Amino acid sequence: MLTKRQNLAEVMKGGNPDRFVKQYEAFSMIMNTPITRIKPQIGGEIVNEWGITIRWPEGQLGAFPVHDAEHIVIKDITKWRDYVKAPSVECSEEAWAPAIAAAKAVDRKDQYVTVFVAPGIFEMTHYLMSMEEALMAYYEEPEAMHELIDYIVEFELKLAKEFIDHLHPDAVFHHDDWGSQISSFISPDMFKEFFEPAYKKIYGYYKDNGVELIIHHSDSYAANLVPSMIEMGIDIWQGVMTTNHVPELIEQYGGKITFMGDIDSGVIDFPGWTRENIAEKVETACRRCGKLYFIPGASQGLNVSSFPGVYEATDEEIDRMTKEIF
Amino acid sequence: MTKIEEVKAKVEAGKSKLVPGLVQEALDAGNSAQDILDAMVDSMGVVGEKFSKGDIFVPEMLIAAKAMSKGVDVLKPHLAGDGSSKLGTCVIGTVAGDLHDIGKNLVSLMIESAGFDMVDLGVDVPADTFVQAIKDNKNVKLVACSGLLTSTMPAMREAVATIKASGLTGFKVIVGGAPVTPEYAEEIGADGFAPDAGTAAVKAKELATA
Ligand code: B12
Repeated sequence: MLTKRQNLAEVMKGGNPDRFVKQYEAFSMIMNTPITRIKPQIGGEIVNEWGITIRWPEGQLGAFPVHDAEHIVIKDITKWRDYVKAPSVECSEEAWAPAIAAAKAVDRKDQYVTVFVAPGIFEMTHYLMSMEEALMAYYEEPEAMHELIDYIVEFELKLAKEFIDHLHPDAVFHHDDWGSQISSFISPDMFKEFFEPAYKKIYGYYKDNGVELIIHHSDSYAANLVPSMIEMGIDIWQGVMTTNHVPELIEQYGGKITFMGDIDSGVIDFPGWTRENIAEKVETACRRCGKLYFIPGASQGLNVSSFPGVYEATDEEIDRMTKEIF
Repeated sequence: MTKIEEVKAKVEAGKSKLVPGLVQEALDAGNSAQDILDAMVDSMGVVGEKFSKGDIFVPEMLIAAKAMSKGVDVLKPHLAGDGSSKLGTCVIGTVAGDLHDIGKNLVSLMIESAGFDMVDLGVDVPADTFVQAIKDNKNVKLVACSGLLTSTMPAMREAVATIKASGLTGFKVIVGGAPVTPEYAEEIGADGFAPDAGTAAVKAKELATA
């Protein structure tokens, strides 16, 4: 039997995997790094390391950035330098120790030591200035947006260096949601202009420094951005929703990129979820997408589910499909 | 190109810096404020259609709506009557338990540019607040509920049920958001559904004038 890592590698190169990859099983996520996103507790509010106020109101499923006039970070995009200050990435060796220990404990023949980066560049711009203002600024103040993005890239490169120096990761799992369920937020041309070069720098840097695998999370429609993803160096697009017509994408781009998803979290992961429903969605995905260039999994951007039991049930159903298809 | 055609083209292209000047020129050339407004409503219709088809994206839609709203500012003093919109008032909000507002804001912009006055209740709106807003505002013809989370679909159901059970009349209820399907909209008793902001404006008009 192949190790989880070998099996994933076979899927990606169109070789001979001996089973379906079960969601995130091949990635050992190192989440206890000293530089990680901070989040409020339920009912709480924090100002994060970029100065963004994030609130998690009672009775809500998750946290939200606050963008009223008082709290919004960038009040005028042409003066972004006055408002935005990247946090420092320097931490003591002591602070790194738990993450280093976690990475050491991983059997790298079996799993990829994977670092986690979120939010992404696109997300950072809308966290700093609200989605509407950010999206309009790509048209109205493109130079300032280019500068702001360059500044975030600079930060990400420093972060990457810290990760690489301390953990020698095999993979990076990077979030950045680029669309709604039915369309990308911005046009492929605009995306190519602003984001392709930015991510090429970041992902290129990881690759040049021994990181084998780039996994990018966007749980949305983004089929129209796949050519850019390939150009950026993304190996696995995680979160690919069913609205992307995944089998067609595999047909067209398999070999250049692998797709992880085709099971929408929203349709399996809710209060009152059922095993039958998960079984059906997993089966549909596995049968139509096949063994190569595809990893079945929920679109959610981590190895968890919103409602207890869903993640595990999904794994078990993938096992069942392995028995039937392999 | 006539001045009105120019206004139309620049709204479609989202040139918010140019539109106010062109609207003024169109007025100076003797066009009625109403005709200029109608022309801008038409261009937003085109924008909505292109968005629905996937030919343009959210930024293009936002800048077009902004351009139109700058144009409307110039027109306002010239518009006849009490300045209220032809199609009536639309109350809009994201249902309780949900804080997503990008889709709701886009829908609001498009419904507004189709000729409604908007009352935006924001996000995390309890069912009763929708009802109160219908009572508090004049000429409410449409109530629009948005929801992006599967887990807030029950809150959407409750909102529609509460509005319908309030005994208030004279308006229709439209719902939408990524997890909402036409079947679900019907099941919970909404009068209409639209999959995107462009279609929402068309549907809104249809419902309010039916
Ligand atoms: C951007 C985004 C955010 C932003 C929101 C910023 C904001 N101001 O709204 C941030 C990062 C803050 C966020 C937070 C969260 N999010 Co969120 N988010 C998204 C994302 C990526 C895009 C949504 C969006 O803005 N789309 C763009 C707009 C234009 O599209 P739209 O909303 O679909 O609206 C269009 C149509 O639906 C329609 N429409 C919308 N409303 C209406 C109303 C009417 C009347 C009509 C007719 C039509 C209509 O027209 C619109 C325009 O065409 C989606 C992913 C996705 N695939 O949708 C997740 C998503 C919605 N989020 C999700 C989750 C889980 C969360 C969090 C709980 C995360 C967390 N764990 O912390 C929190 C939620 C907190 C809360 N209580 O609400 C899940 C929901 C899963 C589910 N099905 O239940 C999604 C689907 C991601 C996922 N796959 O897991 N999110």
